[in-house]
Amino acid sequence: MMQLTRRQTKKAKSFITHFLLVLWALVCLFPIYWVLITSFKLPIAVFQGPKYFPWIDFKPTLNAWNFLLTGPTSAAVYRSWANSAILATTSAAIAVIIGAMAGYALTRFRFYWSGLKWKNNNIAFFIISQRMLPAVVVILPYMIMYRIFGLIDTHLGMILAYTVFNLPFAVWILRDFFAGLPVDLEESALIDGANRFQAFRSIVLPLAAPGLIATFLFCLVFTWNDYLFALMLTFSKASTLPMFIAGEGTQSYGPQWWYLSALSLLSIAPMILISLLVERYITRGLVVGAIK
Amino acid sequence: MGGSAPRMFAVEESPTTKKDRGVSYAFLMPTVILILILSIFPLVFSLALSFASWDLSRLEGGVRFIGFQNFATLFSDTRFWDTAKNTVYFVGGAVALQYLLGLCLAMLLNQEIRFRRFFRVVFLMPMMLTPAAVGYVGRMLFNESMGPINDMIKHLGLPIVPWLSNSKMAMPSLILLDTWEWVPFITIVLLAGLQSLPPEVFESATVDGASDWQILRYITFPMLAPVSITVILIRALEAFKLFDIVVVMTGGGPGTATETVTMYAYIVGMKSGNLGYASAIAYSLLVLVIVFSTIFLNSLRGRAAAAEG
Repeated sequence: MMQLTRRQTKKAKSFITHFLLVLWALVCLFPIYWVLITSFKLPIAVFQGPKYFPWIDFKPTLNAWNFLLTGPTSAAVYRSWANSAILATTSAAIAVIIGAMAGYALTRFRFYWSGLKWKNNNIAFFIISQRMLPAVVVILPYMIMYRIFGLIDTHLGMILAYTVFNLPFAVWILRDFFAGLPVDLEESALIDGANRFQAFRSIVLPLAAPGLIATFLFCLVFTWNDYLFALMLTFSKASTLPMFIAGEGTQSYGPQWWYLSALSLLSIAPMILISLLVERYITRGLVVGAIK
Repeated sequence: MGGSAPRMFAVEESPTTKKDRGVSYAFLMPTVILILILSIFPLVFSLALSFASWDLSRLEGGVRFIGFQNFATLFSDTRFWDTAKNTVYFVGGAVALQYLLGLCLAMLLNQEIRFRRFFRVVFLMPMMLTPAAVGYVGRMLFNESMGPINDMIKHLGLPIVPWLSNSKMAMPSLILLDTWEWVPFITIVLLAGLQSLPPEVFESATVDGASDWQILRYITFPMLAPVSITVILIRALEAFKLFDIVVVMTGGGPGTATETVTMYAYIVGMKSGNLGYASAIAYSLLVLVIVFSTIFLNSLRGRAAAAEG
């Protein structure tokens, strides 16, 4: 066999790399494609066995979407969607604000809690470690406390729970982010007579905008996607989209695939948009830096 | 604050922070207080509950402390041990598979490639999607007669697989679905790790005539070890909590073949209303997670130390 030149090996390697990348891209996209086309199928197109291409092997219809958006369950669908959106945005915003303050404090001040012999790193670890706990450990006490204080199935209760759920993550990412920001600007503002809060609000936060946005988006995704808290702490008024999906998917008459696909898309589509936004922050090394 | 007073919450003095003691706490305390009330208190509450008997339908009836009785019951509860085994099986299988795939993908993405941004966005997408919806999508894809996976297998001339109805296959199916969703996380972290490695090392290795495999085995992999340990630990801690995907995809079945500890705690707590016993189950998951993390970190540190020494 002829010896391959260096250039040929390089070309062959590049070809294999791209081939594998495309293959995995197909693996990533196929389930999303599947749920998309299933939402345009009639029951018969589902039960006849898998049909892959609209117009070619099945005729797409809007039946499932019509039923989802105007049928008898539509009010519940809209309410769940709105609840998910309200709870996710509010709790993510609060977690980012409070978390930014703590992240800032942990990088700009030196704490020493002599009773516990804790320094900044210990305090940070204490906060971050809360994210690692299995949520099921705290969820039963939540349910009992929420019943007692009338917070069960309320927006307020859910926002509170999700804020605390997101807070450790926000502190984790933002602490790392503030540590990489230069202190000169805020110091000069402090010397010019601004107080800490003014310096924080008018100098530090604008500088930290990319980190704040990235953290907000991630907290938004975590909350939007949560099922366990919603399942334990809500039943109708404050119930969210994942609850609705899981509830419909486990009906005893069997899942209505076309309808559930459309419903799933309502939950997945905003997250696909967010992953377009989030990619740029990840590429710039934000977020992932904190994990390393 | 005087120098001799108990300085439990003292701020050390440095030029910039001297006048900022109060301010520093104004920044930090909202987080600390929220976590104390809504994370630490529930944790203690839950521990107390695990030594008690309390019925969900008669919350007013109050708590009765029963000592270690819940844990004694737990010890001989075969369903609990099954769910613990399922959880460990899931964590081991899912994390190993995800790490291997994630490493390969990160190395592919770390080369000179076209459409870099497209691949990154697409590779990232699955981990952003709602697990409840993903579990449902998995249920469609793995469906034996109407799902596309078995259909493709049939076209390849292979025997179809009873993905969800066979108790031996249900867990691997779940692992595959979870891998689809969470490989992105490992990929992006390892990719960032790869990109932070000094290029000179690789250049000189190439000049010295090292093969690709040697570079991977003796340079990339060891240098990536700290990031790998962190990412595996984070993913494993998340995997121990497995709940939403299973509930929707298999409902814990067939039988209890895919029931996880979190699911069992939920069933006992909410469906049977036995809050004390559910807390005992939840707490054993916490213990399992802590024991795992400790062993994992210590064994790897020991190995790293041995490798250096």
